[in-house]
Amino acid sequence: MARLLNHLVDEAALRAPEAVAVRCGGESLLYQQLARRSNGLARVLLETGLRKRDRVAVLLTRTFQVPISFYGIAAAGGILVPIDPKSPAQQVIRILRATGAQRLITEPRKGAVAREALAACPEVSHIVGLEPQDEEMEGQSELASRHYIPWPTVLEEACDQPPPVDVIDLDPAYILHTSGSTGEPKLIQHTHRSALSFVEWAAAEYSLTAEDRLSNHSSHHTCFATFDYYAAARAGAATVLLTPAVLMMPGSLSTLLEQERVSVWYSVPTALVQLSLRGSLEARDLSALRWVLFAGETFPEKHLRRLQKQLPGARFSHVYGSTEVNVCTYYHLPQPRDLETGDLETGDFETDDLETGDLETSDLGTSDLGTTVTEDPLPGDPLPIGRACSTSGTLVVDEQLRPVPRGETGELLVRGSTLMSGYWGDPERNLTALVRQTQAGDLEEIYFRTGDRVRESEDGQLAFVARTDRQVKVRGFRVELEEVEAALLSLDGVNEGAVVTVPDGEGSLAIQAAVVLSSRRPEGMDAPAGDAGDGGERELLSQLKKALPMQAIPSRIAILDSLPRTPTGKTDRNTLRQRLTT
Amino acid sequence: MTDHRTGLSPQEIEARILEFIQTELLSPPVTAHREDDLLSGEILDSVAVLRLATYVAEEFRIHIQPTDFVIENFQNAVVLTEYVLRSIASRDPGSTDSALASPESAETRG
Repeated sequence: MARLLNHLVDEAALRAPEAVAVRCGGESLLYQQLARRSNGLARVLLETGLRKRDRVAVLLTRTFQVPISFYGIAAAGGILVPIDPKSPAQQVIRILRATGAQRLITEPRKGAVAREALAACPEVSHIVGLEPQDEEMEGQSELASRHYIPWPTVLEEACDQPPPVDVIDLDPAYILHTSGSTGEPKLIQHTHRSALSFVEWAAAEYSLTAEDRLSNHSSHHTCFATFDYYAAARAGAATVLLTPAVLMMPGSLSTLLEQERVSVWYSVPTALVQLSLRGSLEARDLSALRWVLFAGETFPEKHLRRLQKQLPGARFSHVYGSTEVNVCTYYHLPQPRDLETGDLETGDFETDDLETGDLETSDLGTSDLGTTVTEDPLPGDPLPIGRACSTSGTLVVDEQLRPVPRGETGELLVRGSTLMSGYWGDPERNLTALVRQTQAGDLEEIYFRTGDRVRESEDGQLAFVARTDRQVKVRGFRVELEEVEAALLSLDGVNEGAVVTVPDGEGSLAIQAAVVLSSRRPEGMDAPAGDAGDGGERELLSQLKKALPMQAIPSRIAILDSLPRTPTGKTDRNTLRQRLTT
Repeated sequence: MTDHRTGLSPQEIEARILEFIQTELLSPPVTAHREDDLLSGEILDSVAVLRLATYVAEEFRIHIQPTDFVIENFQNAVVLTEYVLRSIASRDPGSTDSALASPESAETRG
């Protein structure tokens, strides 16, 4: 059995060297090739002086280089730090600095962002995937001591044997980043063991085999990718990488799913809503698709019902968790008993589709799913997040962290073998998020405070109720609204600012902002108080895009004379939301 | 209100699409060119692509069918313009000529 993540590929390559490990753009990477190339990368990294637990940042688009980097870094004993490929340079800089990564694996396509970030991070000494620029070759740059290793050089090092490294399963394997309320990203560290614990559970629960093909919808910097890559390798199955173009065009996506015979899908509901509305599913043969897993936000009932009708051969599984605990509860939807034969309302695109919020989703993303398609839960009840996985234990507690009676709402605490080892470089957050509960024998167990308020039904099913803070999900990505407000307020010329979420009409939420400008405005922001489309909004958006990840950028910034206030003087976000949506 | 069904040449349709991308979806110093890959993930995200689809549907009064959301129709401003022209023609047979009308008629559009 695999003890480290890289063992998954080594073992799959031993069992079936010619089996397809990854598909991308119609090409295949076989398990033997993946194992040899990742072993080669591991040797290259060790030759740069990499030591156990050194962080290696990865800034890549969806290519074969992603799995090669994942397994190569693990085989070298390093800690993988996958960076959102859509990150602006400022975000890349923050992550490089916060993790202290001295090595970056990238590619020419990300060269512009990578070089901008590298210019601000002289401590990064080795770059895989880029060539040195002219001035560096001439020794004119203070960064001339940097070492560049192009991908062809790495691939020449491909070899069968992984290098000998002194790593155990409780050593750190990767650090994932999510939105942080202070503007600094949360860095969440997992061990080989915590990742493999999830992988073993998922491979068994969904009966993954070497015949399966798992789609990779979510970006490789998210915890979704641990399923798409590692669970696939555990089973010797193939991972089908979905390129941005395919992901943006549902008609092309469904064609690819048919051609590639994808059998297991895992994503946020937003992607499935798009596929259902505009994927021409009735015209495709998706009979190979046997599991549809979704997580991360509310799946609007009407869209879920329609998708179940469109994919009658697939089982649906609502999984719940967070980057800190990966998946910790799950709920398999019963098969619909009475499929209606009426017309399916699919997504002819009218001009008001984006303007009409057809959901009533709260700011906190409360599930509004009353599943009349199932026996359980009853109509009107929220879709359960289900029961704890065999890897996890749950507690529902009050504000003093005392368990509440079944049926009462409280915060969900989770312990288990999939739990992170902690937030990198953030002892204060670790103290508040990881709490100790005393058990018999005066022994302590560590629980993660999820920040999610839940309720446990009489039959033991958990249901999500609300967040305890202002964290929201935008197309499945965690966004701390405080982070967006902090970024807004840091902009030149902004005196006050607030953000709210509104339904985006596509099954998810959109962030909208309002600002009050100071009387002394920078050049380009001299438009009068007004609304969308003026020069002031564009200038503010332009500045924000340099600081925040794409999903955190407001879809609109209204410039107001003043923000609405509650009687106590706080920003009245409910009134603001109404003003922004009318 | 101007009738969008008449008086636009392919060049003008393409120019309007590029102008929308430039002014509404991109931030300086990024600039949009007619053959830029709009679906690479490097220029636009999925929300921006939906906004572009909304704009095209509204500006040129076309109805985008679910089956039309394919790479071949949205990859760049050139193919998107061709798609718009096809949609106008299928919506209103006989209007193709007017959609390809002379620049003079376009100038009256305001």
